[in-house]
Amino acid sequence: MGRTITYSQALNEAMAEEMRRDASVFVIGEDVRVSPFGQTAGLVNEFGEERVLNTPIAENAITGAAMGAALQGMRPVLELMFMDFTMLAMDQLCNNLGQWRYITGGQYSIPLTIRTACGGGMRMGYGHSQCLESQLIQAPGLIIVEPSTPYDAKGLLKAAIRSDDPVIVVESKKLIFGGVEGEVPDEDYTIPFGEAVVRKEGKDATVVALGFMCYEALGAAQELAGEDIDIEVIDLRSIVPMDKDTIFGSVEKTGRLITVEEGRIRGGVGAEISALAAGEYHGLLEAPVQRVAAPMVPIAVSPALEDLYLPNKDSIVRAVKRTL
Amino acid sequence: MSVDNEILKELYRRMILVRFMEEAHDRLLREGKFQLMGHFGTGQEAVSIGVTGPLRREDILFGTHRGVGEFIGKGMSPRDIWFEYMGKKEGLCHGKGGVHLCDRANNIPGLVATLGSDFSISVGTALASKMKKTEQVTLYYVGEGTCNQADAHPSMCMAALWKLPVVFAVCTNQFCELSYMCEHYPTQDVAPRAAAYDIPYNIVDGQDVETTYEATRTAVEHARAGNGPYLVEYKTFRMSTHFSGDPGGYVNPADLEEWKGKDPIELCRKKILERGILGEDEDREFRGGIQAEVDEAVSAAFAGTDPSVEDLFKDVYSREGVI
Repeated sequence: MGRTITYSQALNEAMAEEMRRDASVFVIGEDVRVSPFGQTAGLVNEFGEERVLNTPIAENAITGAAMGAALQGMRPVLELMFMDFTMLAMDQLCNNLGQWRYITGGQYSIPLTIRTACGGGMRMGYGHSQCLESQLIQAPGLIIVEPSTPYDAKGLLKAAIRSDDPVIVVESKKLIFGGVEGEVPDEDYTIPFGEAVVRKEGKDATVVALGFMCYEALGAAQELAGEDIDIEVIDLRSIVPMDKDTIFGSVEKTGRLITVEEGRIRGGVGAEISALAAGEYHGLLEAPVQRVAAPMVPIAVSPALEDLYLPNKDSIVRAVKRTL
Repeated sequence: MSVDNEILKELYRRMILVRFMEEAHDRLLREGKFQLMGHFGTGQEAVSIGVTGPLRREDILFGTHRGVGEFIGKGMSPRDIWFEYMGKKEGLCHGKGGVHLCDRANNIPGLVATLGSDFSISVGTALASKMKKTEQVTLYYVGEGTCNQADAHPSMCMAALWKLPVVFAVCTNQFCELSYMCEHYPTQDVAPRAAAYDIPYNIVDGQDVETTYEATRTAVEHARAGNGPYLVEYKTFRMSTHFSGDPGGYVNPADLEEWKGKDPIELCRKKILERGILGEDEDREFRGGIQAEVDEAVSAAFAGTDPSVEDLFKDVYSREGVI
């Protein structure tokens, strides 16, 4: 049996269930009691202010504070409201968080989960709309996941909270605000890190998409089907670790690879996958890899300009055709 | 202000140990026997040892790059420090931390490389202690230079807001790296900043170990009793350069001359002799024993094992196969 819930409810349920299960789990962040987008709404009613902790507006310091609590065996779930704001916490994220276990010789682990919302389309402009995954993948020691469905959101967030390593869960604002629904099982479950999932099987080309872009890729698949082009759509789900077997198992079948992300193209997640394709998996390709990503420009508030900026179904269709 | 004779003798021992450890480090560098850059705290031993003196083993310490004082004070052994400094597998961090010392058994969770990052991390460990209802106090030992990091403010703010058991121990050694403090501060003192967050503070002499010990004990007891954070500023003078081999030339020789006469170990030695805790001969023997301990630790570390390629990839994640 399962239930149909929204993406935001899935995140909320994951936190509530883990807080019930483990007294060391607590939620911390800016405005998490009221919760502007709703992911942590209502948690304070059940768990009280001590376990749903509002913080001052100071991203690097609250990340450090959450890290400190995790060093002492707590399992904080920290919200950095917009992914753009993770840039204010880069010192903790990239210098300390992922490297602490290593430099302490394994004496300390940091079971910290950081949730952050990415993505455009809300007309919020340059500093509230970015997808900045590529800024974080250079840091060793972090796990980075990006769920695109309620099922994945709940399962990956629960896995993150139980993980002894720091995990960044990238949520998509379009999925939160768009109220996307999906089925989740009644029983407890988690999703292992490093497992991509095939959303649609196909034989002509492999499209690897990240987060909300999976929906655009599925839209492209539908359109291309009308032209007898049968693409395989893979939802990456986990950026670090990355499921190379699923991606390149598919490329072995199709000979063609298209990466799709909402972040910018230079040094992006697609660039990393392309480098793997050009190196380790060179023999599989029958056409040059295509990267669908945002251009190297800031995000304008103007709807006309933002729509031109964002990758979408049409840009994916064009990229697929370039490989055929 | 006076502390029990046994405690004073132990504080004296630790200060000498710190001085000898750093002298050994300096000597090895000059002899070209190893490379780890030294940031020595010569002349400020009464602060690092006085602030750690009142801590219990379960209390949490965040220290600095400036020498080994607070790490010795919190219970780290010379051997553990030297193995780590020399990058050997036998080190508690298996040579990966080096100067970034960490000793879980003594509740030293590690040392950041970016100055001031741990301001907020120390607030987090105190938050965990409060949530878990333990009696632990976190002591954040920091230099005045680092107190200009932006995170100092939200960290003090959160500590006060949540009434956390954390002591901010500010060692004002008159230098912010290669500059006099007055080039970084419009004020004489750092401590009054605490008042902006309703955190009680105290400013004390940093040369007299009894004073530093007692001032810290008051602050630690305040925090342990659930009264929230406390800030103590200790006034001292860094006799050493910022780092071994820095260009120098920025210290007024008259200042050095003046502060030479206030050496904290000499001050303590006078008290030790005056109170009859040790006689002259006993003191010589006492120092000899400490020097031998340092020499033995250095030799042991030189004979340590270098980590291997397996170690290069170990402990990035808690489980295998992620890299």
